[in-house]
Order: sequence, then C-alpha cells, then structure tokens
Amino acid sequence: MDISGGQPLAPGQPGTTGRFMELQINGQTVQVDADPAMPLLWVLRDLLNMTGTKFGCGVAACGACTVRVDGQAVRACVTPVATLAGRRIQTIEALGTPARPHALQRAWIAEQVPQCGYCQSGMLMAAAALLEKTPKPTDADIDAAMTNICRCGTYQRVRLAIKRAAGMGAARAPVKKRS
Amino acid sequence: MKRRIWLLSAAGAAGALIVGWGALPPRSRTGSGRLWPPAEDQVALNGWIKITADGSVVLAMARSEMGQGVHTALPMLVAEELDVPLSRVHLEQAGADSIYGNVAMLVAGLPFHPFELEERPFKVRAGEWVVRKLARELGINATGGSSSVADAWLVLRTAAATARASLLGAASLQWRLPVAEFTVSNGVISHPSGKSAHYGELARFAAATPPGSVTLKAREDWKVIGRNAARKDIPAKVDGTARFGLDVRLPGMLYAAIRLCPMLGGAPGAIDVNAALAMPGVERLVRLLPYAGSTAGFAVVGKSWWQCQQAAQAVPVDWHQRPAGALDSRQIARELEAALQGEDGFTFYEKGSVAQVEAGAARKLEALYRAPYLAHAALEPMNCTAQVRDGKVFLWVPTQVPQMGAAIAARVAGVAVEDVSVTVTLLGGGFGRRLEVDYIAQAVRVALECGGRPVQLIWSREEDTTHDFYRPMHVARLVAAVDAQGRPVSLRIRSAGDAISPRWLERGVPMLAGPVDTPDKTTAEGLFDLPYGFAHQHMSHVATRKSVPVGFWRSVGHSHNAFFSECFIDELALAVQQDPLALRRQLLRDAPRYLAVLELAAKQSGWGGKLPTGRARGIALHESFGSIVAQVVEVSLLDGRPRVHRVVCAIDCGTVVNPGIVAQQMESAVVFALTAALYGKVDIHDGVVQQKNFPDYPMLLQAQAPLVETHLVASTRPPGGVGEPGVPPLAPAVANAVFALTGTRLRSLPLVL
Repeated sequence: MDISGGQPLAPGQPGTTGRFMELQINGQTVQVDADPAMPLLWVLRDLLNMTGTKFGCGVAACGACTVRVDGQAVRACVTPVATLAGRRIQTIEALGTPARPHALQRAWIAEQVPQCGYCQSGMLMAAAALLEKTPKPTDADIDAAMTNICRCGTYQRVRLAIKRAAGMGAARAPVKKRS
Repeated sequence: MKRRIWLLSAAGAAGALIVGWGALPPRSRTGSGRLWPPAEDQVALNGWIKITADGSVVLAMARSEMGQGVHTALPMLVAEELDVPLSRVHLEQAGADSIYGNVAMLVAGLPFHPFELEERPFKVRAGEWVVRKLARELGINATGGSSSVADAWLVLRTAAATARASLLGAASLQWRLPVAEFTVSNGVISHPSGKSAHYGELARFAAATPPGSVTLKAREDWKVIGRNAARKDIPAKVDGTARFGLDVRLPGMLYAAIRLCPMLGGAPGAIDVNAALAMPGVERLVRLLPYAGSTAGFAVVGKSWWQCQQAAQAVPVDWHQRPAGALDSRQIARELEAALQGEDGFTFYEKGSVAQVEAGAARKLEALYRAPYLAHAALEPMNCTAQVRDGKVFLWVPTQVPQMGAAIAARVAGVAVEDVSVTVTLLGGGFGRRLEVDYIAQAVRVALECGGRPVQLIWSREEDTTHDFYRPMHVARLVAAVDAQGRPVSLRIRSAGDAISPRWLERGVPMLAGPVDTPDKTTAEGLFDLPYGFAHQHMSHVATRKSVPVGFWRSVGHSHNAFFSECFIDELALAVQQDPLALRRQLLRDAPRYLAVLELAAKQSGWGGKLPTGRARGIALHESFGSIVAQVVEVSLLDGRPRVHRVVCAIDCGTVVNPGIVAQQMESAVVFALTAALYGKVDIHDGVVQQKNFPDYPMLLQAQAPLVETHLVASTRPPGGVGEPGVPPLAPAVANAVFALTGTRLRSLPLVL
C-alpha cells in the first residue's frame, strides 16, 4: 500500500488556526496555517508532509531534525515557525537532486555511511552547513560542528565522507582480510 | 534444578508435541509460489523467489532492516545462486507463512557450551532437532539474535538454486538442448548455438517445470558472497526518501501522543479530559491499559503530533503508584547481592570439582561485579500507525516481530489474526526494543476510537527513555583458585538478575509462556560458555523477578557478562603475574579458533609495543551468536574520564557474506558498547525512571568516537552473527586498559573513576 499519499491540511479546514504564514522552503514560497509557536519540524512533517527531516528528541540534543536556515544548521524541533518569516529554509529534500546529488551525498554513498539511516538527514544538513563555512575542515572542525547523535555509530565514516566531499582524500574505512 | 534434568524434561515436553505433529508431511522451507499474492508481469517460482517479465528477481523479505544490512546481505545470497546482479534483486515483504520463521534464532537459545556444539554429542543433536522442529512449526518471523544470515544461509540459497534449476529446465525443454551445455550470466541463459533468453522470458514455463536435482554453487565459484557490495538501502537514506515508521503518511491520518504513568506499573486515576479537548487541534483522549508489559496511561489524538503532545503534557492527571509498591533500583541492587549469597541458582555448566579444588588451593581470588539497568534509545522513537476499518486492522510499523504485532493487534481489536495486515517499514534502530509490541497495542486501541481513520501514535523521547524494557540489572561473584605452582585451576561464577525470555514470552507469545519459568540462557550466556581451559568450573545463575520491565538489549546477557568474565581474567593475570595476553593464550591452548582471533587482534594492535605517554592498551575476547571477537583498545584519560582512541577488532564470524557490512557492524557495536560503558545507567527511584532524554542519558558523539579497525579471520564455517558480537568485549577491554593506566580496577558499569 502507498504510504506517501497524504494531503497537507488546506487553509480553512477544520483544525486549522486561520493564521497564515509564508515560508521560503527549498526555493519555493509555501503558505502554512500554523500556531506561531509550532516548531518548524512539525510544520514540515505534519502540515507539509515533508518527512525527510526526522524527530529524535524534541530538545535540540540529537540533531536528527537539522535543517539549514539562511545556510546555518538549525535544529528544527525547537525553532518556532514564527521566527522564520522571510528566511531561507533548506531541508534534505533539496540538498541535491537525483540528477545532481550534492557532493556530500555522493561521498556518503562512496563511504557507505548510513546504517539504520534515521539520523542521516540531519547529519548531512549539518555537514553541508559546515562545508559552506569551512570548505577544508580539520578533525577539530568536524568534531565541533558535527554534534548529531548516531545510535548506529557511523561517526568514523561521517568523518571520512566529509573529507572526501571536501576533496581531502578518500581513504576507505579500514577492513582487512587475513590471507 | 540440575541442568541435565531440565534438558530431559524440556525434550520430553517437546517430544510429546512432536508426536502430535508427526503425521504432518515433512516440508522444506522453499515453499510454493502460491504463498505470494497474485501479481501481473510476475511469476512466483517458490515461496521466496518471483521473476518479473523484465528478467529481474523479487525476493520475499522476511527480516527487518534496522541498520544491520540484512536488506543487502540476503539478496546477495540470491544474486549468487541465480547469477543476477545484486541491483536486479528487488525486495517485497514476505507473507505470514511459517517458512519465513526464524529457526536459527530459536535453536541458538539452547544452553549448550560452544565446545559441546563442536563435539555434537547426542544431547546436542537431539536438543537442536527438537527446537528446530518446534521453531519450524511455530514459524516466528523475527529479526534478532544476530541470526538472519545464519538462518537464511541454506534456505535462501536453496530457494534461489531451485528457481535457477527450473529456469534452466524450462530452457532445455523449449530448445531441446541439454542443461549441461548452457551458461548463465546476468540472468540470461545462453547456448553456444546462439540461443539465449533472460529469466523473464522463461519464467512462466519454468513455473511448470520441476527443478530436478538442485545443487548449490561450490565456494570456489562464488562471485558475490565474500565480496564487498554497496548496500541497497543507502541511496534512499542520503536523500530523505527512505521511509521509516514515522514517515508513513495516509489520507485523513490523525496523530496521537501518549503519556504513561511516570511510576512503572502505575496507572492514571482521574484525568481532566476537557482540559485536553479545549486545546487547539485536539480531537479526543483515549485511556491506555498496560498492554504487553507496558505501563498504563492515555493518548491524545489530533491534527498534528505537536499539538497532541502539548495537550498530553498540559492535562491534569491523578497518577496512582504501582499497587505492589514503588520500584527502586537501589533496593533491587541490594536484593540481587543478597540473592547471590543466599541462593544456589541454576547450574548452567559444571566441570570437575570446584569445591574440592578451592578447599585445597594455595590462593583464591574473588570479586563482585555489577551492571545497571539500561535503555535502548533507538533514535526513531517508538511508533505505530494503525487503522481499524470494517473489522480489519492495518498496521504500518517499524518492528522486529511483525507476526507478534499482528497477534496483539488482533487481541486488542477483537478480530482474527488473519484480519490484521502488517506493513513493516524501515526501522530507525532496533537493538531489541522493537522485539516488543506494547506500542502496537496502544496504536490499535487508539485507532478503534478514530472512526476508521488511520492514526500515527508516536512516543516522545521522554516516554521512550522512561518506559523502555530495560536491560536487566545483574551482579556476579567470580572466584578463581590458584595452585601452589601459581597456575589458575578453577573458576566459579554465580550471577543474579532477572530472566528476560519468560517475561518476553508472556508479553508476546503467551501460549508459550509456561506456568513456571524455565532457565533462560540469555541470563548466563557469556559466563557458562567460556572457552578458557580451567580444569574445574561451576557456573550458575539466580533468576530473579524484580518487576522492572526487562527486555533484550543488543547482545543481551553477553553485554554485561563479558564485562564480568573478561575483567576477571585480567585480575587473574595480575594475581599470577602474567601479561593479560599471555594468560589468555595459556588458557586457550585447547581452543584454537579463539586463539587465532586473539592473536590476530594482538598482532594488528601492536600489543606490547610502545604507546605515547598517558596511553594504555586493554584486551578482551568473547564469543557470542556464533562469532568470536577480540578487541584491543587504546585509552587515555581526559578530564578524569576514559577516552578511547583506537579499537582493533578481530572477528571470526565464519563465512563472510559482505566484508563491508561486517566492518560497519564492528564500528557500530564499538560505539554502542562504548556509550554504555562510559555513560549508560538507568536509575529508578520511587518507581520513576530518573533519566529522561539525551541530556541526562547521553550518547557518544563524533568528538569521542574512536577509530575502529576490523580484521577478518578467513573461515569456511557457516556464517555466524555480526550485529551483536562486537558489543561484549568492548567494556572489559576499556576497563582493562583503565587498570593498566591507573591501577584502579573498575568493577561496576558505567566506568567512572
């Protein structure tokens, strides 16, 4: 059965607030009808059915909900939508396109980073913000910027993939077979 | 109770059941094409394999992908035998037939020592036969116990080879040419005469062609198994299109947030329902019973999860404490230590005469070890989407146990299990938490009140942390005797803690939960099954029942028992003035498979070589889920805490299907285990779990992650597990390094100096 066929609530439907806001999401102007205190995460997920951005903790501790606002990594679960009028929001859905994936997405595949994958949207958005500001990050830069929780422990591949995307070598994750 | 007596009575009970089933014809697990729902453009050749008109292959996927790579490893087995590229093997969720049940997982639950499994005496063969038969009849489709590849190893290759034989037979009949003259490549069958056809062109004919004799490819002909292959699930996990349970979106769908009684086992009294309904977006409030071992509470249903959550938090509620009294982890810790003193427990393993040897020993070494309750903290919070419409229940759920989910959904909705359909989504982590079905029951209960509309029930992180099925608290006393020549001669271990399996059966498969708990291997695994050559051994476990909900946590009993045993081996090395590696070598003289893994880790880590000042190494070795892992860690201290820089893993997991996935799982296990070793602790005071969310139940982050290297021991044995075996040795290796660095022996988890 199709699990992606939901429709966003249209303004004026029962349950809406009658308070409209314009948001700039992934280069498009989107009108939403939301409580101004509602965090961006739930506007994306429940009102707009954009599910690439994940819920993990609700207190900005895990980073699964990381999106970019005016290029900066922002934790959407604690960002009231009212603070975002006129600002550029980018989510994982627009990090790259199938035809032109972002360098980080290519590197993520090359290094075989994801396991369960649940934290990876947030990881990629945080990494994208890092590389925009610091195109050649050191290990310390990566440690400071990448504070997302990965319960599967993909951290060392995240590091390798960021360096690969930054054009800083392409060492494979070490695995050796005894001959 | 003696182990022998228990085994006999268990075998007798199972034997009685088998007499009843003896009349059933023997069935293979290849199954028939009729197990698939009909589909245009596709032909089912057996219960596992369909061929699409374009020649691609569809595999019935009976296991859940939770990061461990099973949606890549199992298709690799099929790609191998069918000679198709991995990219041409597509997945469709398997149905409910018993061929999809996980037999290997249940067989691994038998409490045999690994040496007995090698020697295969009658009791091992009989026990395995009985459980295999039982597992086959039950057909429990479950993903757990690091068993997916081991279970699929013969079954899937046989199914694929059978399909291939029918396809070849069909070509032979159509072209009137002998099969022996055909070659197969990329799903195309060719003959030197120039005739060729892809699988899609032959499938309909093949469905009516008996396979004849089926042989599996010889190891030397493998092109897929044993080689790195990119994971099939990764592209969707880097562009946001991968669908987890939380990402299910259905027309007209509602959301539900829950609030369970903060006191474990407690319940809500009066709830100010009107206060909830007055809040924006809220449609209704539904009381939740303590389903499947959970705690009672309520759910708020509405237009968005955030609105529901706001309302659930705001509602005034009168909470009632657990009727039998508040649970308290400090009290339980004292009770477990008392149980160690006062009770004999169940003897899982006995060899020689420990009491006699201890009485005559020159020296005895004794230590008490402790491990706390732990939460799973899968990053995707517990959730389930349910719809009840026209007497049917539809579930979309990230679960490790779809049939158990269907069973509890049927009970809650009052329908037959055949009227429940389960769609398994991707899992945002499992680690054993998704072997439970509490959240499925809750979602169905809520859906019953939603007038046929689907509802997505999502737990907050706080509910996830405070209402888990925790890894049980355990304590162990270890005693070793040393003779006059300074040689270790005996090892005696008694541990105490709650058994998980009987509680899990009560919650999920009540028909299998007996009136009396049978000994649970998972409590004592990692203690009774050690490879070390002590001439005299006695390992027993006191099973307690402390009413804290307990569940399977990645590597289960091994996760704490390896900490107890492998730290104690280092203590013994110190006592007999030996290097920890040297003592292990000596004790593994008769265990060459273990010794090879140990030596590989030692060599690759440069054991004994110089390290920068302020760093030390620690080593540990442990077998679990059919695989042996040795780890050498390099540790320093940073702000009084252990900081792990490098972890060298050596693993013998039998035949390797995908070396890249094995390396991923070692990296994953190290981070998971290190998180627990450094931070993991759940405290329960007055019935309330004190840790709530990641700020007070912290996780290892990028900045603390060590570099993990994986080294594989070449092997032709059948595959063992890889998802869990990397977890157990990590905590003892770190504690052993901390001792080498500081001279302080840490005997409690988490490791706090």
